[in-house]
Amino acid sequence: MKDIREDIAWAKINTDVLKSLENPRKLYWVILFIAVAVFGVGVGCEVYQYNMGLGVGNFDNPHMWGLYIATFIFWIGMSHSGTLLSAILHIMHADWRKPIYRFAEAMTTFSLMTAGLFVAVHLGRIWQIYFALPYPNMRQVWPNFQSPLLWDAMAIFTYLSSSILFLYVGMIPDLAICRDNMHSGWRKKLYAVLSLGWEGTDRQWRNFRMTYLTIACFLIPLAVSVHSIVSTDFAASQQPGWHITSFPPYFVAGALYSGCAAIITLFIILRYVFKFEEYMTKSILKKVARLTFAIAMVWTYLKWVEFAQAWFGHNAHDQHLLIEKATGTYAPFWWMMNFCASVVPFMLVFKRFQTNIPVLFAVSLLLNLGMWLERFMIVAPTFADGFYPWTWDHNQWPSLVQWGIVFGSFGWFAILFMLFCKIFPSVSMYEVKEMVYHRSLETKKLQALQAAGELAAAGKGAH
Amino acid sequence: MSITTLFENYSEFRHRHPDGDVPHNPYKWAMAIDLDACSGCNACAVACYAENNLPVVGREKFANGQVMHWMRIERYWDHDGSEFPERGARYLPMLCQQCEAAPCETVCPVGATNHTPDGLNSQIYNRCIGSRYCSSNCPYKVRYFNWWDYPSTDNVWPAEMNMQLNPDVTVRGKGVMEKCTFCIQRIRGAESDAKTQGRLVRDDGELQTACQQACPTSAISFGNLVDPESRVHKQWMAQQVELNKHEQAKDEEPGGSDLRGYRVYEWLAPYPSIMYLERVRETEI
Amino acid sequence: MMNSEFDRRDFLKVLGWGGTAVALTGCGNGMVESGKETVVSYVETKDYMIPSVSVYFNSTCAQCDAGCSITGRIREGRVLKLEGNPESAINRGKTCGLGQAGVQNHYNPDRVRAPLLRTGNTGEAITWEKAYALIDEKLKGVSGNEVAFLTGGMSGHTKVLMGNYMDSLGSKNHFVYEAIGPAVVRAANKKSYGVEMPRFNIGKARVVLSFGADFLGAWVSPVNFSQQYAQFRKGSGGHQRGVLIQVESKMTITGANADRWLAVRPGTEGILALGIINALGAHGVSIPGDIAAAVKTYDKDRVSNDTGVSAEQIDKIAAILKERTPSLVLAGSAAEGYAHGSQNAAAINLLNHVLGNVGKTIEAAAIVPFPQMAPLTGNTAALKALNDGLAAGKYKVLFSYGSNPVFTSPAAMKYKDNMAKADFKVVFAQYLDETALQADLVLPLDSALEDWGTQVPEYMAGNAQINIRQPLMEKLHADTRGMGDILLTLIKQRRAAEYKPFDDYYGYLRAAVLQNKAALGGANQPDNDIFWNETLSKGIIKFEGAKHASLSVKSGAAGLTLPAPSAADAEYPLQLIPHVNANLRDGRNTNQPWLQESPDPLTTIVWDSWIEIHPKKAAELGIVEGDIVEVTSKSGSLKVQAYIFPGIHPDAVSIPLGRGHEAMGRYAKGYGVNPFQILDMIYDKETGELALHETRVKISRTGNRVIVVKDEGPVGGNQEGQKIVPEMLTNKVNLSKEI
Repeated sequence: MKDIREDIAWAKINTDVLKSLENPRKLYWVILFIAVAVFGVGVGCEVYQYNMGLGVGNFDNPHMWGLYIATFIFWIGMSHSGTLLSAILHIMHADWRKPIYRFAEAMTTFSLMTAGLFVAVHLGRIWQIYFALPYPNMRQVWPNFQSPLLWDAMAIFTYLSSSILFLYVGMIPDLAICRDNMHSGWRKKLYAVLSLGWEGTDRQWRNFRMTYLTIACFLIPLAVSVHSIVSTDFAASQQPGWHITSFPPYFVAGALYSGCAAIITLFIILRYVFKFEEYMTKSILKKVARLTFAIAMVWTYLKWVEFAQAWFGHNAHDQHLLIEKATGTYAPFWWMMNFCASVVPFMLVFKRFQTNIPVLFAVSLLLNLGMWLERFMIVAPTFADGFYPWTWDHNQWPSLVQWGIVFGSFGWFAILFMLFCKIFPSVSMYEVKEMVYHRSLETKKLQALQAAGELAAAGKGAH
Repeated sequence: MSITTLFENYSEFRHRHPDGDVPHNPYKWAMAIDLDACSGCNACAVACYAENNLPVVGREKFANGQVMHWMRIERYWDHDGSEFPERGARYLPMLCQQCEAAPCETVCPVGATNHTPDGLNSQIYNRCIGSRYCSSNCPYKVRYFNWWDYPSTDNVWPAEMNMQLNPDVTVRGKGVMEKCTFCIQRIRGAESDAKTQGRLVRDDGELQTACQQACPTSAISFGNLVDPESRVHKQWMAQQVELNKHEQAKDEEPGGSDLRGYRVYEWLAPYPSIMYLERVRETEI
Repeated sequence: MMNSEFDRRDFLKVLGWGGTAVALTGCGNGMVESGKETVVSYVETKDYMIPSVSVYFNSTCAQCDAGCSITGRIREGRVLKLEGNPESAINRGKTCGLGQAGVQNHYNPDRVRAPLLRTGNTGEAITWEKAYALIDEKLKGVSGNEVAFLTGGMSGHTKVLMGNYMDSLGSKNHFVYEAIGPAVVRAANKKSYGVEMPRFNIGKARVVLSFGADFLGAWVSPVNFSQQYAQFRKGSGGHQRGVLIQVESKMTITGANADRWLAVRPGTEGILALGIINALGAHGVSIPGDIAAAVKTYDKDRVSNDTGVSAEQIDKIAAILKERTPSLVLAGSAAEGYAHGSQNAAAINLLNHVLGNVGKTIEAAAIVPFPQMAPLTGNTAALKALNDGLAAGKYKVLFSYGSNPVFTSPAAMKYKDNMAKADFKVVFAQYLDETALQADLVLPLDSALEDWGTQVPEYMAGNAQINIRQPLMEKLHADTRGMGDILLTLIKQRRAAEYKPFDDYYGYLRAAVLQNKAALGGANQPDNDIFWNETLSKGIIKFEGAKHASLSVKSGAAGLTLPAPSAADAEYPLQLIPHVNANLRDGRNTNQPWLQESPDPLTTIVWDSWIEIHPKKAAELGIVEGDIVEVTSKSGSLKVQAYIFPGIHPDAVSIPLGRGHEAMGRYAKGYGVNPFQILDMIYDKETGELALHETRVKISRTGNRVIVVKDEGPVGGNQEGQKIVPEMLTNKVNLSKEI
């Protein structure tokens, strides 16, 4: 099984990919409409919440945070997949990433944009959100640089801008192809502007490679830091269940994990919708599946570190909280989280599942469900069973408004992603061409070697 | 605006517990609550509602855990398995502990909760954006969030009832965090009066918090901890509780101390400004 | 300028100084220029009113009858907050939660704002002139015997006017009703000590043994007792900290603060008291012969068997009472609420005699030297008498003030139906409560913070004092009137001449005070205005060295017979204890939302009623917290949520009073249930008081379950092994080191 056929003609690659930018089918509009409707639900809930106050979310004292923060971490986590595939695998020269990194990067950007919404939605006074930014002001009132939430805001903004830049820079040669294949319309103008006069000269390619590599190198530590910083929202606090030193790597692993799972999901959808079977091959899917399994195991290990730390840390509060998670009101979610995120990935061990698309699709959804639950299990139980027993509260559940906004965020993400797929090539044409070329060279080399071997053998025999 | 301030040592802008910080001068407001005197009658809590414009949230919101009582009376049982609570209950008035190294202060993204030079943990409603991180990190869970817009909610302050609102205290709208302020409006009034008269606030009832003033058993004393003449200072001294320690020397004594002063969650090192005096029970009966 | 139309004696009576032993100075009334010195202080700004600066006025709290003096903080003409007035010997600058909520009574949005005349099922707003004319008209041709006036406890000049009005009507039918007043204890005290309400020196006692007296909560004068309690806990006169033993079937807040709380079988408090006397004898305390004879059969084994209190515990109590003197024994509402309540109280009071506490911790209270102003305390026997009269159709015109009998009387009494038998019913009310809804004419009252008055507290803590009530701000509503003003107008309808000099109640009060200036401490103040202003600014008229009533120190055990504990009742196995909550009392304060939201100190429940069931009994009946149970007595039934509560005798259940309003206002109506409704009409044998604790009930699950709305979390007040509220034992702590 090959990652890609070596004999795909470059022109065919262009045609196939550009076909995905053609006028959408009816079904596309239907799905887009549904996505807009889903997003509309979220917007409606937010408007209601804005008018009434956060009480409509069924928060209380002590349940100060709810689904918004959990889902915020979830979307931030998702964003790590793009960086992993593009940047990390790029500098590791894993060329199988090439057909699939573009949509993964898009996913990064869009999930960050979704996550950012939750920061705003979460706030009691959303209209004052700019207070959290270090903007110049006459009274020299700065935000509090000690607060992990401020680090969050900064990390996310940095990461978002870098991700957009990375996505865009990596797309320039493809945008030029689009420009050249387009004859009129607003998109032609758009591509013309965005491709920055790309002509594919040697110098341009050299500069391009260097820029791309630089941003990739810049992005990797950033990605690691973003989720580490998100973890400090919890780890830097004093609360039982949060005050855990292993949280930063744990969060990064979790992020990569959920990102990989999301890649599998979108991989399968795109492959099916755009008929990209030639490029998004099962062989690549297998590699992604294996990668996902590996990260799942790292994550599981770190989760056990968390448990061990709570259990052997001789801190009654942490121990109590762990017991409460496993046996209290949150137990069904906690066990489901463990099952989905630590047991289900073992499906990926089996070779026949690694390429079985329906199974992989289901597994990837389950993994992400598990990861969402994991975030919920980080946030909620600490509020329910914090330090102070008088305010323990096991009976406060998020209202439909909270769920509506979480639900709506998927619509928002879908809208962004669907628009992207129709405006920008979701498979990197130039890199696939590179890949095909390199693979064909290798094949030729191999054939030459084989031929030489055969010749030698024959010669020996003749000799 | 000067960009240089951005790079200045940020901790200079912050007042923390007195270790190496600017010492509290001339005021450090603190409390001592005698649990042996406290009868759990709730007068302090109602007085707090009256003084600080606390909204009455009503049955449904109370059921939802959205009550806004800055001062809450907690009732504990012994849970020793006996048929009756023959030793009575234990009451604890729990309010913001005005920690010197407050866990809530460091995490607020916008610095809406701050330490004042006179040792208060202040909350700036205008600045609050409602991230609720402070409450998440509060070990005592004594911060209360405005989940609803109480001023515009039916039957919270209907006509005439709104005339009772204390004009010295902000009425909080939706989306901000609030908590006990040690009646900062009274403190500032007294401080200002004293300043114009060229003296310090006296410890003779010139300044009382609303809860202290109401308390029928005088279980609450409040005053300036750095004033050697104040009752609070004397109480803290007599109980050998030091503000800036998270382990008190007296607790190291073999067999434990026979002094009643303690602070809740002292070991977490938030350096609370409220010292409680343990409840006492008779051994002869 | 004394009016010559009536003689001096009558004049004294008019102004309330009748029967006085104090010499009165010359007359000083009639100085009031009409309209100039009435209530208003903020119509034109005075020099003391600076915008944004608070001013303070003294007055008297009316949230309960204890008579705490308050200081109102007023800014821009609005009263904002009430604090205690430190000058009062009763509350010494302190207030309770109930008192704090006084402003919510004043600003309440559900107050009646105009006189309402019934037309069919609705009330039509009419003018006061019309209302007064109507009363005048209805009273024409009605003999005094056909008029009944129901009030709550009264004192001071309102009481004077009230008495004079009844005189003018030629009626003796003034019924003074208090639903939860300590009427039986008053009667028992009168017998045991010679006075109804002596002074209890809790602060001086070294041991307090309280039989259900919730003196930190709702009993008599809780703010005063709370302060004394603090002093008692600190120890005085070089003594160690005082010891509190509380004996009751349902834990009150006082019980929750006790060193030893004893769950006694309901109704056996008197037996335990006699048992303790018996044990004291065994410990070598000398007991007078007749008492010793009376308690002879109450040996500790029998008493232990009857009461459920262990013999060892009885011994310990006797030992500590003997060892630490003086002590104080209190008989409270839990002991008096039975058919043998008087006997219970008598037995308990006997303990004070045996221990020699009378004269030491039980002292005669100072009395205000004007008997006409002395408090008129109410009881439930009065309501019964009124109700009987109404049932028999004796009364044509009924006035009702200061009580809400439709709400606070047992449904079996059928007061509501009987009330309908009167032709014309006038209710003076601040709210359209259950009784006001039955009226033909509702007359809206001023709140206590905008009214004038004087009050003489029943429980006199220090020197005798008369409390002044004055408006803390301008009237909120134009068409409400003070009770004093109403009475004055009504009395003028009948005795215009005598009351002509007084334009209004303020003028009457001022005239009254000035007329008796010397006796009220103004002998050296020649200027009437200054004296009057000083009196108002103090808010209290004190009588230094006023006479004290005399106590009768000897008391025997004659006539003391206590019934054996009631036998198990198969049909109604549980004793219902209607609990008096410190904030809600008999339900008159329920429409104040601070009080509704103030958690019950024992259960932390808010905004609702509940029934307390001991865990053992609950397990037996299969009831868990939040189960809606049906509580059935012989007289009725109600449905209420269950709360599993360890501080109650397993043979008893308890429902708090004060909630369950069907009217009154937005914060009261529809919250909780009203246990008054299901009480059996059983009366104390001696005093004829309604025996509140005597109702027996059965409970059954309805199958519904709710989440109990309370402040307490899911662990129910468990510290979970943390050091949150640690406790020290007296053998370790040294309170003398403390400041």
